[in-house]
Amino acid sequence: MWQMLKTQSNVAAVYSTATVLAFGAAMGLLLTYTPTETTMGPVQKIFYLHLPVAINTFVSCLLVFIASIGYLASQKTWWDDLAAAAAKTAVQLCAVVLLTGMIWGRGAWGQWWTWSPRLTFSLALFLLYVVYLVVRSSIESRRQRAVIAAVYAIIAFLDVPLVWLSARMMPDIHPGSIQLAPAMKLTLGVWFVPVTMLSLGLTIGRFSLIRRSSDATHVKQSPAPASNSAASRFQIAGGVL
Amino acid sequence: MTTSLRQILTLMAKDLRVEARTRQTLGLVTVLGILIVVVLGLGLGAEAAATRGFGATAVLWVAYLFSGVLCFEKTMAVERADGAMAALMVAPIDRGNIYLAKLLSNLILMAGIAVITPCGVLFFAFDLSIAPGTFVAVMSLAVIGFAAVGTLFAAVVSSTRLQGGLLAMMIFPVTLPLVIASMQLLLHRFRDGQSIGGTGLGVLMAFDAMFLTLSWAVFEWVLEP
Amino acid sequence: MQATLDQPRETTDLKAPAVQIVDLCKSIDERPILRGVDLSINPGESVAILGANGAGKSTLLKILATLTSATAGEARLFGVSLRNAPASLRAKIGLISHQSLLYRDLTARENLQFFAKLYGIPDPATRAINLLSLVGLGDRADDAVKTFSRGMTQRVAIARALVHRPQLLLADEPFAGLDVASVAAVEELFDQLHAAGRTVLVVDHDIERSLRICQRIIVLRGGRVALDKAAGDTSAAEIEAEMSGT
Repeated sequence: MWQMLKTQSNVAAVYSTATVLAFGAAMGLLLTYTPTETTMGPVQKIFYLHLPVAINTFVSCLLVFIASIGYLASQKTWWDDLAAAAAKTAVQLCAVVLLTGMIWGRGAWGQWWTWSPRLTFSLALFLLYVVYLVVRSSIESRRQRAVIAAVYAIIAFLDVPLVWLSARMMPDIHPGSIQLAPAMKLTLGVWFVPVTMLSLGLTIGRFSLIRRSSDATHVKQSPAPASNSAASRFQIAGGVL
Repeated sequence: MTTSLRQILTLMAKDLRVEARTRQTLGLVTVLGILIVVVLGLGLGAEAAATRGFGATAVLWVAYLFSGVLCFEKTMAVERADGAMAALMVAPIDRGNIYLAKLLSNLILMAGIAVITPCGVLFFAFDLSIAPGTFVAVMSLAVIGFAAVGTLFAAVVSSTRLQGGLLAMMIFPVTLPLVIASMQLLLHRFRDGQSIGGTGLGVLMAFDAMFLTLSWAVFEWVLEP
Repeated sequence: MQATLDQPRETTDLKAPAVQIVDLCKSIDERPILRGVDLSINPGESVAILGANGAGKSTLLKILATLTSATAGEARLFGVSLRNAPASLRAKIGLISHQSLLYRDLTARENLQFFAKLYGIPDPATRAINLLSLVGLGDRADDAVKTFSRGMTQRVAIARALVHRPQLLLADEPFAGLDVASVAAVEELFDQLHAAGRTVLVVDHDIERSLRICQRIIVLRGGRVALDKAAGDTSAAEIEAEMSGT
């Protein structure tokens, strides 16, 4: 087992290094190669982080949805653990989406916050999944937590398109559609790599952490097999004393 | 089909009879709602230019949310008190009918809203005369969707021993589309004088249809005796 | 108790066992509760299920009552599988628990009428009053259940379980918290049920009582059947030994 743990942490180390390097490369590209957008200036470059993170947030939310259905259908706990891991990633990524969106807004229109469709939607999504995490931490019983969280996650995910639609009804005083030059499209594509690596790494890493710690508690919790001798009964009692 | 209807009506009649005996839920919903409207009215200065008239919608939503959650909790608690939910599950009825009956009972017991709403409209001097029917229709559609989700979550949460905060916290973000859509619709209609657009009504109706169906389908899976 | 029980509404397929369980397994959160239970109960038998805490007795009953589903294995009632069981199968099951499964704010009569209507019983009002007479509470029909003592509440609960004349009665610790007189009354009711040809499954703690009221004793230990004998062929000592695994 130690070998496996060592291998796992080796893999993790290699992966993390690769992710950092990928970010470094993407950053380098951004600073040297990518042209600055004329109307907004340098602040616009946060878009190259914002969009990949937004896509990955959505993918994480989808993963929570699928894992929740998987749990309700199969009653296997690893689905539930996957949902929990993906949800934490979703919340973290969504926080980045919100922050980058706000920075963008500050740069473009001088305001940190407006109730525009995009920002409202990001905030609503963030809240939806924060609540998921809080719900999980409020319930002690493992099985109840899994069932309640799964039901909530399914409803929440199906709610997302409706949140988006309703957010679009909010006044959008600053519509901004961006025309991307080829160099910009390339940069965007490049930025997808480290962001996706990060997102996957966070989810998988957290998932294996949760599995390992639940395996440990599982071993402690299993009832001792029924013994057939009075002598062993007294031994257990003696252990308690 | 008639069997289902009979079962749903029997279940509803039971809920309403229990309410008639205890007289708890309807009173609580109404009084809590009015209190919220009053407190917010005082705090926001309901006569101030910024909040008068249209501010009523937001305040009313807060009132509906809190008193509604209370209503859903109470009607589920009736089933949990002595384990009656197990008896319903053992009965030869479609378990989706348990959901529908509970939803309809909740909507009826939220009739207290019919008292809260005029209070809000009055305190905030919200002039409904342009399109009172629109106001009622929009708010009704929104409250139905709210109750659809609330009934499901209340059932799921009621098997735990946890109290109110959890249920409210789960319902609020999910029902944001209802809040946003209804407020934007009323804003367009009353402040801007535009006729009701497709998106807003579409969101409300899609929400209602989707979550009614989904909750009804999921209910059986998650019901715990 | 004055009145007698009516005959079951439908005749069963007498060839099919009332309860047939093959290798039934149930895990909760990957903790095994039932680890391969096999048993078969014929219509008209009256069976006690005993076992220490955590042996899986209540879980087994919940599966039979369709309140939860098994992880693996097969369970059939009257020849019909419990997996995706049609709602009509539940019409043959009556459930008694240590909770009353009633609405305490309603009267005894209202509770029984509600359940009668739910089960589609014709003339629910008459049925309710007949059942209340059966359990000796005819004169308290219009009192709220919350005013009843524990023994009286349990009697109404039994009436509720019998409202649709179920062929199989599942009872999970029905004697819990009852005083001596109520226990005697409930025991007599179980005798009448058995005499009327109903199948009865009782989960209980009390070995003496189980030997007294049931014809067959099953002991669960560690999620499996440890003992399955006719009441006359076993003794309290043997049962106790099997329960504790000595």
